[in-house]
Amino acid sequence: MDPQNTQVLLIEDNPGDADLVRLRLIEAKNTSEVNCVSRLSDGLASLANSQPSVVLLDLNLPDCHGAETFRKVLDKAPNTPIVILSGQDDEALATKALHQGVQDYLVKGDFTSKHLERAMRYAVERQALVRSLEISRKQQLEFKNRFLSHVSHELRTPLTCIHQYVTILLDGIAGPVAPEQNDHLKTVLKSVNQLHAMIRDLLEATRAESGKMRVEPRCIAVDGLIHQAVAMMRPTAQEKNVALEMGLDQRIPLVHADPDRVLEILINLMDNALKFTPPEGSVVVKASMVETDPGMIYVSVSDTGRGINTEAKALIFERLFQDPDTIDSNRTGLGLGLYISKELVNLQGGKIWVSSEPGQGSTFTFTLPLYSLASLLMPVVTYQGQMRPSFVLARVDLIPLRNPPRGNWKETWQECLEVVRRCVYLDKDLVLPPMAAQGPGEAFYIVASTDLQQAGIMTTRIREQLERVEDLSSKATVAISLVPVEFEPGKADISLEAKVQVLASRISEMIVDDMQVRPVREPARK
Amino acid sequence: MQRHKILVVDDDPDLLRALRLRLKAQDYDISTASDGYSAIATAQKERPDLIILDLGLPVGDGFVVLERLQTSNPLSSIPVIVLTARDPQNNEDRVMKAGAAAFFQKPVDNDELLNVIRVSLPRPESARAPWPS
Repeated sequence: MDPQNTQVLLIEDNPGDADLVRLRLIEAKNTSEVNCVSRLSDGLASLANSQPSVVLLDLNLPDCHGAETFRKVLDKAPNTPIVILSGQDDEALATKALHQGVQDYLVKGDFTSKHLERAMRYAVERQALVRSLEISRKQQLEFKNRFLSHVSHELRTPLTCIHQYVTILLDGIAGPVAPEQNDHLKTVLKSVNQLHAMIRDLLEATRAESGKMRVEPRCIAVDGLIHQAVAMMRPTAQEKNVALEMGLDQRIPLVHADPDRVLEILINLMDNALKFTPPEGSVVVKASMVETDPGMIYVSVSDTGRGINTEAKALIFERLFQDPDTIDSNRTGLGLGLYISKELVNLQGGKIWVSSEPGQGSTFTFTLPLYSLASLLMPVVTYQGQMRPSFVLARVDLIPLRNPPRGNWKETWQECLEVVRRCVYLDKDLVLPPMAAQGPGEAFYIVASTDLQQAGIMTTRIREQLERVEDLSSKATVAISLVPVEFEPGKADISLEAKVQVLASRISEMIVDDMQVRPVREPARK
Repeated sequence: MQRHKILVVDDDPDLLRALRLRLKAQDYDISTASDGYSAIATAQKERPDLIILDLGLPVGDGFVVLERLQTSNPLSSIPVIVLTARDPQNNEDRVMKAGAAAFFQKPVDNDELLNVIRVSLPRPESARAPWPS
């Protein structure tokens, strides 16, 4: 600290105490410039304008008392050193403040000029040290993440080569392979696939740690994803002689989640369950609603494996955790799968947990938020406290001319969605958020508070506007269909909210039914 | 029917050889290039029906190649499948915006790659079946 250029912000409402601080500084021949304010609000305003070298802070001010005082200053200027001027009776509080980022404290009336100067000097030095530690910690984290992402990229190149040549041999492209050689090659391929999964997990965990993991929630039918995941894991289950079953509620409402990520979580949980279930055992995937938690869908994966003990349960979602009781041959990953799943579930607004008793199998459950159609519909299907008289559900399909689509398909369909949104009446029509792609194309649903004839006019308008989208005709065809929404609003005395809920349920049913008859999407990329 | 011609661009000679073997087994004619400059030169000379392109290349990386192909009239219609070790999170959108037909991260599932090659290759107009609705 250069004593000549020190600027002190003194936040002290007692003029006597303020004068005493000035006096002590003069005694120490300290030429610091002291800016004294008597209210916290003035102090915070001063901190917003310029950063002093050090803040001397009284804890009992006219506009703020106690711990709140230093918390507000720390919030405003986290990098400015603070020395508290405490009374005899709030020394305990001052000690507490040290744990929260305040650098030092002096008891009023009990410090000399030397004490004051030393406290200020050390506060400045320590704060600088803390800051440089913080910066270096961030740099190290950044370096580690860059390093991991670089390594996983570099590992992919030789791995690709091994993968290619092994599959060339296995597929007989380089000539016939004897049955025993074939077996050996399959073992190599299995290890290559494991290595590949580890590299992927490593990168994903790095992303999760640095907050760069991305999810793109949509309105999706989770049972379709469970069917897909079960189909993907079926061969593994058969190989292990483990039964793979589904238990899905009759009507599962739509959820607001990222379909690729939900599939990833399902595959991960099922893969673990199959890994730890002995032959003749079973793995069951369920999706259901729970009365006590109406805003969520519960998805669970249960196995008849050997269960997880209490200590392991507490740590199982931590990074790099591996159950020490696991037989080595079952350890085929880095211990990142559940950590990644937890991060993905949290990012989508859900929770994940495990219930298990040793010897009794385990159940991993995660929740996903329901897609609340009723709250989206409320403003458009009602008018002056009444339900509007009639509703139509329209579907606009964009079917790409090629599968997979050429060019930037995502940009194309998003532009079309914007066009569709501009073609409806905002006060009485609703373009629903995009649904999970079921086929190669995209489908947008519109709820229109109108009759079929008026809805026909709306769809003509949509078609005309979509025809003006540049190059759309060379990329996709457009199909539009309309269905009137027939629903029984129930007794006249039920509330408007309840009526909208009935309508929303009816529309959800129609969409779920509609999506089920459409072609199922191809399996996601491995 | 005439065989489809595919240009494979990658700077790893071992992988290039593997992809050549793999694609030849599917009855495609293969030519190869191992840097950005010769990729464009070969594309101009041989007019392939499809290009498989790595991103990390010497003498003009994959993005440069994509851009040159897109701005060159007879070449811009050739479908390009990008096959790279790079992270899709930072590259896929960029590659698709630059006009690629598909993006795959290495190592790729062979069936998926072959499937995308099959559907991306030009077909006679009459053979283009509409997608079932």
